[in-house]
Amino acid sequence: MAARIDEFLIDVRPQREWGWLVISYLFLGGAGAGLFLVSLYLEHLWAGVLGLLVLLVGTVLLLLDLGRPERFWRAFFRPQTSWISRGCFFITLLFVLGVIELALQWPGLELPAWLSEGTTLRTSLRVAGGGAAVLVMIYTGFVLAPSPAIPFWNSAFFPIIFFAYSLLAGIDILILTSPMLPGPSLDLMLLERNQNYLVILCLLLVLSHVSVMSSSAVAARESIRLLTRGRWASLFLGGVIGAGLIVPLLLALPVVWEAQVQTVFALTFILALLRLFGDYLFRFLVMRVGLYDPLL
Amino acid sequence: MARYGMVIDLDICIGCNACTMACKSEHATPGGIFWGKVLEKEVGKFPAARRIFLPVLCNHCKNPICMEVCPTGATYQREDGIVLIDYDLCLGCRSCMEACPYGPRAFYAGDGAYYENGRTPFEEAKQHFPEGIVMKCNFCVDRVDQGLNPACVQTCPTECRIFGDLDDPQSEVSRMAAEKKARPLLPEKGLEPSVFYIGG
Repeated sequence: MAARIDEFLIDVRPQREWGWLVISYLFLGGAGAGLFLVSLYLEHLWAGVLGLLVLLVGTVLLLLDLGRPERFWRAFFRPQTSWISRGCFFITLLFVLGVIELALQWPGLELPAWLSEGTTLRTSLRVAGGGAAVLVMIYTGFVLAPSPAIPFWNSAFFPIIFFAYSLLAGIDILILTSPMLPGPSLDLMLLERNQNYLVILCLLLVLSHVSVMSSSAVAARESIRLLTRGRWASLFLGGVIGAGLIVPLLLALPVVWEAQVQTVFALTFILALLRLFGDYLFRFLVMRVGLYDPLL
Repeated sequence: MARYGMVIDLDICIGCNACTMACKSEHATPGGIFWGKVLEKEVGKFPAARRIFLPVLCNHCKNPICMEVCPTGATYQREDGIVLIDYDLCLGCRSCMEACPYGPRAFYAGDGAYYENGRTPFEEAKQHFPEGIVMKCNFCVDRVDQGLNPACVQTCPTECRIFGDLDDPQSEVSRMAAEKKARPLLPEKGLEPSVFYIGG
């Protein structure tokens, strides 16, 4: 195995360790937890099932990324300092509380009075499940944010950005799968209106992060150059900002102004696909423009 | 207790990479993986252009971020400050590689042979790394425990590297660091490296 020539130069270095498996986990893990959170709000059993399945697929991809996947259980040993370790607990907690919550919602199941809807225990379980989902949505931001090595990641924005994007993606998966999901029908127009607020939030957060980083350390400025004028500019400006956020926002105007139901139905699918594309692309680019400061 | 560290004089380093080869010879590191290496950069413009060399290795930081982010406890620090990896505990998640700003760590996916036709007798005899783990410079801990210098220090033909106890004000490494105002790489990261540089 040959070493790369640029490994011997004193310069800004790109991170190459975390690739598409980690990127896909960031996307699917966040979207799955986001979808589960929304399912709790909507009290939609099958949306919750789908959310946990999406999270499961993401978690399997993350395990496959490990050099020694059979040792995954060792990652639970350092929650006092390691966000990856804490994340393992959050994911496990979400799966456990999620399965309990969905089991309690199962149709036809006769529950004892102390577990029925509206009891303190039931409400507490639901709140804890929602809390676990929020933690899964944001912890990946904390995995990146404390890193002093990669200035572009070293930002308090990431946990919030990942939360907003995860919720956006979760609702988009719900919109896309709504015709196939059993259970009560969903108000797509209402979901779509809420997506507009999330899109505006994502846009503000991403642009704020870019703005802060453009006057930060050398490597962060190079990351911003790559995103706005360099190799990844077309994907970032055209894909993440344009196709993923601004175009859906503009196309969603007919929904805001309450167009015909049929129009909304077709449009929301297109908008959801565009936003999901932008979300995945955003996480891809966050990994690709992670650069280390030069040593001298 | 000692706190081991190193001072590297960049004015003396000639970029010969003898340290790089001594390290590979000592540890039989897999192909493409270097626990220590010499980085270079061209500075200035013709006719005043010149190359500068920067020998790098694990900085064995006093506050090792790699240890903090490790989810298994595979990365640990001895009382003498040397930061090591327990290969039996490492998951290969590479979070340590993402967290360290100095870039001395490498992921070993397997098949460490240098040549296409399989492992050499030297590799067969000395190269026993498990696959799927992260590896890095260990300050030649086996040699240090025997009272010897790390292989890179022992080999350097210009004697640009000095190794010793940073906590002992009488040691050569401490005196050099104090007299020549040695500085670490990227001190702003707050990791308190144990490798210092003078000159350059």
